Amino acid sequence: MRIGIKYCGGCNESYKREMIEEILKRELKNCQFFYSNNADLIVCISGCKKGCAAEKVSGNFVHFDEWVGEDKVLTKIKAKLSELLRS
Amino acid sequence: MMNGKQYIESLRKLKPRIYFMGRKIESVADDPVLAPHVNAAAMTYELAFDPRYEDIMTATSHLTGEKINRFTHIHQSTEDLVKKVRMLRLLGQKTGSCFQRCVGCDAINALYITSYDIDKKYGTEYHERVKEYIKYVQKEDLMPAGAMTDVKGDRSKRPSQQVDKDLYVRIVEKREDGIIVRGAKAHITGAVNSHEIIVMPTRALEADEKEYAVAFAVPVDAEGVTMIFGRQTNDLRRLDGDVDCGNAKYATVGGEALIIFEDVFVPWERVFMCGEYDFASQLVEVFATFHRQNYGGCKVGVADVLIGATANVAEMQGIAKAPHVIDKITEMIHLAETCWCCSLACSYEGYKTPSGAYMPNPLLANVTKLNITRFPYEWSRLAQDVTGGIVITLPSEKDYRNPETRKLIDKYLKGVADVPTEHRIRMIRLVENLSIGAELPESMHGAGSPQAQKIMIARRSNLEMKKEMAKIIAGIKPDEHFKRIRGISEEEFFSKLK
Repeated sequence: MRIGIKYCGGCNESYKREMIEEILKRELKNCQFFYSNNADLIVCISGCKKGCAAEKVSGNFVHFDEWVGEDKVLTKIKAKLSELLRS
Repeated sequence: MMNGKQYIESLRKLKPRIYFMGRKIESVADDPVLAPHVNAAAMTYELAFDPRYEDIMTATSHLTGEKINRFTHIHQSTEDLVKKVRMLRLLGQKTGSCFQRCVGCDAINALYITSYDIDKKYGTEYHERVKEYIKYVQKEDLMPAGAMTDVKGDRSKRPSQQVDKDLYVRIVEKREDGIIVRGAKAHITGAVNSHEIIVMPTRALEADEKEYAVAFAVPVDAEGVTMIFGRQTNDLRRLDGDVDCGNAKYATVGGEALIIFEDVFVPWERVFMCGEYDFASQLVEVFATFHRQNYGGCKVGVADVLIGATANVAEMQGIAKAPHVIDKITEMIHLAETCWCCSLACSYEGYKTPSGAYMPNPLLANVTKLNITRFPYEWSRLAQDVTGGIVITLPSEKDYRNPETRKLIDKYLKGVADVPTEHRIRMIRLVENLSIGAELPESMHGAGSPQAQKIMIARRSNLEMKKEMAKIIAGIKPDEHFKRIRGISEEEFFSKLK
């Protein structure tokens, strides 16, 4: 599975956005990661509720706009990956 | 929707219990001290019928599809948030005062967002009640006052620790048909000339403070509600004529009241929070964000009037072309527009909440308001500087109306030859009104005192992120982009220089 990672500008991020990327790369060894929209799944990482990272994204994507904890990050991504594999 | 005249007429149908200067107010709409505040609020109704401002002043209800006054609207986009502050600046320009109605607007929006989240956690039915209430407010085009600030007693103690438990509004009884509340709310803008009062908690609460976790709405003339209207600097000048006030038509700031709730009954359909203490801080923060967003709109509209008054005085006194005067007036404009930038920014950076309603960026809204605790003092100082000492030494209107002294005042307080002395006096009085009276402390404390904004700014900004950035720039931590730009590491790049 190809996972594209997309960041917002991070003007006033409310958490360290890179933590999400680190978790995904650490836990999803079978996936390939790119900084690109050309992917099976795009992970949009916004620093605040404005959610700029997801503003112009369509198709299969997961959006984070606050720190929800490592477990919830993985749960959300894995649920989306399962959904994609089923389809 | 109601127009300005219909709004004033609607107040005459209500019978709120209001006291001022030791007397009971018989008619808010007609009392000479209160009437200018009523006029300012009436402008929010009147401009909704002016085709020039229709797009700014009205909206389409997402609940009914009907055209409504924007002050009763639940913001559905960042464009709505921007239009709100444009509306506030417009009204500041038209009244040179506080028109009071934003508080109720902010209260219904804060309740809409928070009640949704409470229901989601507890399975309660507050959100539906809030929606029904908002439909009522929109249909009747009502002005609710937003009542948040408790009287607080000993500030070192929590609500539950106060000697007198009534120093924070609380639930004293739950009945089958509703609740009984007791307590008081202070400094409530526009309360005396509102139709309704929306009460919200004033601070974060703990598990043993459920009785204080209460939000509700009651009519201003509900049984057990008493209001004591607060004094302002120079308020009784309103009884002397139309010159000495400076702004005789629309007054100064909002007109605030102490509202006392003496065992007031609230039916369940008007109860929007009842014991959910863990949502008190959210309700306060959401309301505060909306309210702090406003101040770069309304206060800048009022500043436009003050800047205009200052420039007029300069012309009337023959100093308009002096470089230092041009510089000072330009500085006033710069300060005002800086605040405007803040209001626009927090609105454009707004976002959709789970309820579907939009709210402004909280960090930037707090920055907006913190600037307003400072900049109006500076633009007022500059206005007084340009105007001169006469801003506090002008003879009274009564002396100007007295034929014996009028001719002397006309002759000796003349400015440039082609401007009547009365015009100069009126303009200086307007500068006095906008730069000396209640306007400044209102800028300081309205929507929360500066420290409240500082707390929010500290909480909402990520200092660790800034420290990381500094470490990368200072060469303490690796810079991935520098390596890509140069193709070699920082160490390798700079080793050539050593």
